[in-house]
Amino acid sequence: MVVTQKGAILAAEEGTEKGILNFIKQALSQGCFDAVLIPARVPTGDSFAYFLVQNESFLEGASPLSPIMPVQGARAISSLTRRGKGKKKIAAIMRPCEARATIELAKLGQVDLENMTLITVDCPGVIPLSDYFKDPTKGDEVFRDASQNWNSKPMRPVCRICDKFSACGGEDIHVGTLETSSGNILLIPHGAKGEDILNKLGIPLEEDISDWEAKVKRLTEERKKERKQTDEALRADIEGIDRLAEAFSACINCHNCMRVCPICYCQQCNFDSDKMKFTFGDYITRAKARGSLMVPTDTLLFHIGRMLHMSLSCVSCGMCEDACPMAIPVAQIFTLVGDRNQEAFDYVPGRSVAEPLPLTTFEEHEFQEVEQSYAGVSARQERQDD
Amino acid sequence: MQESLLDRRDRMTKVLRINKSAEKGLKELLKFLLENGKVKGVVTLRKTGEDGAISYSLITNADHIESTLPLFPLMPVNLGKQLSLLTLMEPATDPIAVVLRPCELRAFVELVKRNQGSLENFLFISSTCGGVYPLEMAVAGDIEEQLAQYWKAVEQGEAIPDVRPACKACTYFVPYTADITLSLLGNKEIDKQTVLFLNTDKGQSFVEGISGQLSEEEPDSATMEQIRKEREAEKQKLSNEVETKTLGIDDLTKTFSRCIDCHNCSKVCPICYCHVCFFDSKDSEHGPVYYETALEKKGCVSMLSETTFYHLVRLFHVSASCVGCGLCADVCPANIPLWAVSLKAGEAVQKAFDYLPGRDIEEGIPITTFKPEEFAGVE
Repeated sequence: MVVTQKGAILAAEEGTEKGILNFIKQALSQGCFDAVLIPARVPTGDSFAYFLVQNESFLEGASPLSPIMPVQGARAISSLTRRGKGKKKIAAIMRPCEARATIELAKLGQVDLENMTLITVDCPGVIPLSDYFKDPTKGDEVFRDASQNWNSKPMRPVCRICDKFSACGGEDIHVGTLETSSGNILLIPHGAKGEDILNKLGIPLEEDISDWEAKVKRLTEERKKERKQTDEALRADIEGIDRLAEAFSACINCHNCMRVCPICYCQQCNFDSDKMKFTFGDYITRAKARGSLMVPTDTLLFHIGRMLHMSLSCVSCGMCEDACPMAIPVAQIFTLVGDRNQEAFDYVPGRSVAEPLPLTTFEEHEFQEVEQSYAGVSARQERQDD
Repeated sequence: MQESLLDRRDRMTKVLRINKSAEKGLKELLKFLLENGKVKGVVTLRKTGEDGAISYSLITNADHIESTLPLFPLMPVNLGKQLSLLTLMEPATDPIAVVLRPCELRAFVELVKRNQGSLENFLFISSTCGGVYPLEMAVAGDIEEQLAQYWKAVEQGEAIPDVRPACKACTYFVPYTADITLSLLGNKEIDKQTVLFLNTDKGQSFVEGISGQLSEEEPDSATMEQIRKEREAEKQKLSNEVETKTLGIDDLTKTFSRCIDCHNCSKVCPICYCHVCFFDSKDSEHGPVYYETALEKKGCVSMLSETTFYHLVRLFHVSASCVGCGLCADVCPANIPLWAVSLKAGEAVQKAFDYLPGRDIEEGIPITTFKPEEFAGVE
């Protein structure tokens, strides 16, 4: 974890959310930024959305820790800045996985961070959309109780094994809430942008945050262990092409996992393009090869293709799984694959905007073991051909 | 104009009876067609995953017919849309038999009217339709245990609990342009006899040679009419229960307030055929100036402020051809009762143009026909 050793303690007698909102209001009125991007309840009260807020009064209804994630925040920032930065300075209040996806999108040229300030909050997870929409009032209660006790049970499956629920290094200011003494929140700046804001507000950075850091570290280690166990169990279910095909056998090819994914930014996905349209003769030939062909076709190819394209930047937010009409554990599968791929490149998506995407760097001597095995295969192939 | 069995009161139709249960008899017909080279492929539902996942398959090997589930009450995708994708580049190169539901066939006809595929070489086998269960029941693995109840209700021509609301409210359960119609609803002999109405010459010629009894019969229009009346009543009841009471802007805004803008309703919709939807295109992207202007004006702007606009435009584009399959509602991550919205808008528009989507390939899509004297009241 990359955080400064000192932080600030802010009073939050009326609860964490109110404490965060008070800080935001103060920063907004002092001109630290011109507007805030923050989740708030929609007017009908049964869901949440990101709102861009300039007038302080609208912040009353905001909910920095909404019980659900209807849209990944990185997508909201991308909508705002994909066509270039605006004139206004905007602070985004997000969950760590949203900030991390935002940083990945910045590397991919889909977000302009120059006028953005990323403020993250320790995240207890979010409730799956399907659970919440069954009964939003109950969903609010379940989330309130669970988040206060850091009980991850009602949360998205990938939230339950999230080991990056706190400061990740790429944010400008992190808000520590994990078991902080009641009525307090911590502010931990990272980098000049965050420090400037706290300076401007006259908030001194004198507090020792090692107690909070130790708690974060302990929960991180616990989650890492759970993540490994879950990954191992899942791996037994999906390893090998037959098991992977089985895991995705209910897929209806709607591509909704791709459309809600913060990393899948292509305006036109290859798998929705003309490249994936074939003649009837082609389909019949493929059907004849095995006696039958699943319709819709190429569903597994889509998932493998998507995995290849985005798993190095996958932040395990769980949007894909929430949006899947067939409840395929997409996020859990992608988390497993993403973890292994990211580990191979010693890469953590969203850790730092300065860290280049693995596929944009090439080291001549990396992954020689992969080359070796291919060399073996091609040598054997040549012998067989002879 | 094409007629459904419902319209064929007092008209004799050729009927083929096979002395096996409806499912077994239908599978025998499919096997017969493949084995005798009458068709080169069959498209129907099949169990494709060990855990019970069921999807459509294009089957060329007659041995695979055994593992099909042609009457399983599930619609994982609208087959009309899939047939369009299969025949977008060229028509079917060989004769293919397709088992599909009335709304899937109607959707395919609508797509062909839009040059999104070809009817050529297809033998359409449909049935009087009891409806399908929502996808979430397939996910929960709850369908198998419902099957006995499902078929009992179909036999009696009664309402089937727990099927898609769109199906409960569907009054077009008799196929329009099928070559062969399998009689299911209100057919007391389902587990003993397969009753196939051979509606077209094509249907009659394809079954030549299969063992069974041929006859000429009058369709049981009275039973169909009775079921239609009950469905009509159920439709009124269900569409009064949803939050979208009317299509006024207040109710629509309320209904779409929890939309997460994923556009999956459009993606699975058989009528939404655009390769790039306007709302996914560069034309509907906003630069920062847009947001900053809105911010100056209102002080606050939702990043999901255009979802109602999206739905309105979608309704505008599809409602004349909406077949009421209900897939949009099934895939909505926010549980929006899209089936009811589409149904209400679809009915209104289709009634205004006296148009029924998928009834007849020759019937032009309303916006492609213009009559100088129509809608004078609007002008």
